[in-house]
Amino acid sequence: MDIDETRRMFLGQAGAVFGLLCLSALTPDLLAQAHTYAQSAGGTKTYRFFTPQQATAFDAFAAQIIPTDSTPGAREANVVHFTDYLLSTIDKDQQKPVEDAFKALQAQVAKTVPGATSFTALTSAQQIEVMKAMEKTPDFNILRGFVITGFFGSPALGGGNKNQVGWRLIGFEDKFYYQPPFGYYDAQYDKGKS
Amino acid sequence: MSAATPPQKHYPLTDAVDFVIVGSGASGGVLARELSQNGFSVVVLEQGPWLTTADFKHDEYMNWSHSALTNDFRKQPTTFRKTPRDKAVKQPALTYGRMVGGGPVHFTANFWRFHEIDFIEASRKGTIAGTGFADWPITYADMEPYYTKAEWDLGVSGQAGASPFDPPRSKPYPLPPMPVKSSGVLFEQGARKLGYHPFPAPMAVISQSYQGRMACAHCGFCMGFGCEMGAKSSPLPTMIPQAIATGRCEIRPHSYVRKIELDNNGRVTGAIYFDKSGKENLQHARAVILAANGSETPRLLLLSKSNRYPDGLANSSGLVGKYLMFNTDSLAGGLYEHPLNEYKSIEVTRIIHDFYEMDPKLGFYGGGGIDARFLWQPISFAFNGLPPRVPQWGSAYKQALQKYFTRSMVLAGHTTSLPVADNSISLDDTVKDAWGLPAMRVTYKDHPDDLKTTQFMVDRSMEILEASGAQEKWAYPVEESTYGFHLLGTCRMGNDPKTSVINPDHRTHDVPNLFLCDGSSFVTSGRGQPTETIQALAFRASDRITALAKGNQI
Repeated sequence: MDIDETRRMFLGQAGAVFGLLCLSALTPDLLAQAHTYAQSAGGTKTYRFFTPQQATAFDAFAAQIIPTDSTPGAREANVVHFTDYLLSTIDKDQQKPVEDAFKALQAQVAKTVPGATSFTALTSAQQIEVMKAMEKTPDFNILRGFVITGFFGSPALGGGNKNQVGWRLIGFEDKFYYQPPFGYYDAQYDKGKS
Repeated sequence: MSAATPPQKHYPLTDAVDFVIVGSGASGGVLARELSQNGFSVVVLEQGPWLTTADFKHDEYMNWSHSALTNDFRKQPTTFRKTPRDKAVKQPALTYGRMVGGGPVHFTANFWRFHEIDFIEASRKGTIAGTGFADWPITYADMEPYYTKAEWDLGVSGQAGASPFDPPRSKPYPLPPMPVKSSGVLFEQGARKLGYHPFPAPMAVISQSYQGRMACAHCGFCMGFGCEMGAKSSPLPTMIPQAIATGRCEIRPHSYVRKIELDNNGRVTGAIYFDKSGKENLQHARAVILAANGSETPRLLLLSKSNRYPDGLANSSGLVGKYLMFNTDSLAGGLYEHPLNEYKSIEVTRIIHDFYEMDPKLGFYGGGGIDARFLWQPISFAFNGLPPRVPQWGSAYKQALQKYFTRSMVLAGHTTSLPVADNSISLDDTVKDAWGLPAMRVTYKDHPDDLKTTQFMVDRSMEILEASGAQEKWAYPVEESTYGFHLLGTCRMGNDPKTSVINPDHRTHDVPNLFLCDGSSFVTSGRGQPTETIQALAFRASDRITALAKGNQI
């Protein structure tokens, strides 16, 4: 019962994103589909929900949220396919807000860089300028939310976090069994006692 | 998901069983086992599914955003408003466990007894204007045997006598404390420097094998997750199988109760519920116990209107649903030089109770405890685990995620909420749930003293982080609650039928064969960890109800 903090954070500051995502449903069928999809993801450029334009825009957006540098970023984690999978299965009710977010992104592109045709076609600096102009909006945050979920979620779900690149980045391992000491300070503490 | 339900006794709907219990969680699970072991026939109606340890996954997204173990806003919407003068808006307002085993299946497993003061605080400190602050009609001495029973029958790890603030106890904990984590070590060192008294957190997780269950494997998925080891001592691996084993208890999952039936003599005769297919059934019973949690118990009473009770069943006091208390939480984070790897093992290993009661000179009422923990899994960390000054996307964000995940922790304060009559569960005028029933409307605004107490805990937490050698520390802002997990006080216990809903036997003042036992029974909120008290109340209620039944007084 003692989960106020995390939940409040999920639903509060984090936003609209998780609050909205809460509204989706799950059936066992979909879990099985998720597994199959996870196995095949990345090998194909076809999408179930995204238009090709949306997919490239989301890919570019994701690469700015968690960029690729000396370590893999959102692109390598396969967040585009992951998000496409969620939006075509368990998060269908988020299709409309996501479509609206793409429209808002396109509108911001036109406003920030008059004459530009797409977010994808902008330089990196221009993309960042566009994103800064809308970073406080729910439209920005729903897209960011899917990027983060696809980067850090369970690889078993929809093929995001491919090769666990998100977990490797932060030093998280999903194991069913650990033994103490867990960290530096408890190791020192136990030494002090013995 | 889950396989077919285990072999168990089946009762026909038309046979009046001794007890129908609504809810199979913290209190319902205990009542089911106790009453069935005491020889009574019991049917438990549970809205949620009957999952097993094999169903539990380390999938943060499905658990949190798709309500795998909890009420699903999409099917059971809530509305929220701050005061009765505001218009309620449809938004998620509370979470409860919705499955066999209830909230303790996914809880963090903090297991704190109330202290003596919690039951008698109003008479010691005086009433507080604008609140229903009152003494309980029972004392810590009445409850002590049942706290002990809860700890031993469920399986709790801790160290008796480690805190100078602990109330008296008749037996130590059955299991030694869980191994300390780096957060516990740093917290202990910082708190000691400031003269406080850190001690091993009592946790409803078994540190060694116990009663046929295997010890915790430290996988790190407690809060928000079901334990695939069965090492978390929720009713699911403890009370439920023991109740079934009596051959007198039937647990019916996917059974959503919409009304408690009343006869012309003012006695309840059973519960009407929707089964999994949506079909309505009436289970007859000689007595009914609502253990549906502090939000669903009052809602069900309000839904059970009749000519005799036009304002809701057992609501002659008008207090059903009132005095809702959420507890408040404070939060502050710290970054350290070396890895803590807090994603491993249980959340909490050290706590302090130095502020359980606070100095009256501060000028406001309140109190609580502080623990050290890691609140996050990877997704939630990426959303909320970084200090507010850090950018939320881009290269700097990525670098910070890498730097902070293994090297940070938070201090969480858990505090009092005052009982305010306007804070409540009621029926929404317009919004309906997926079964066509009026949605739950939550009205809530923290008492100013509650927010002052929370800020006090933030300030002390920042000092402890500093004393513990944090390289960087940050506070999360104290804001008014708009969301609840601890659902307390909505059918309060008392001796006076005008100012309470149930008597000290958990019997409603109005209806002789209707009992309520869960977070709704609370008179005051305690210090932010209510589960052990909910379960101890259920053990005590089981004894009281058994005595009444055997004495033909129901």
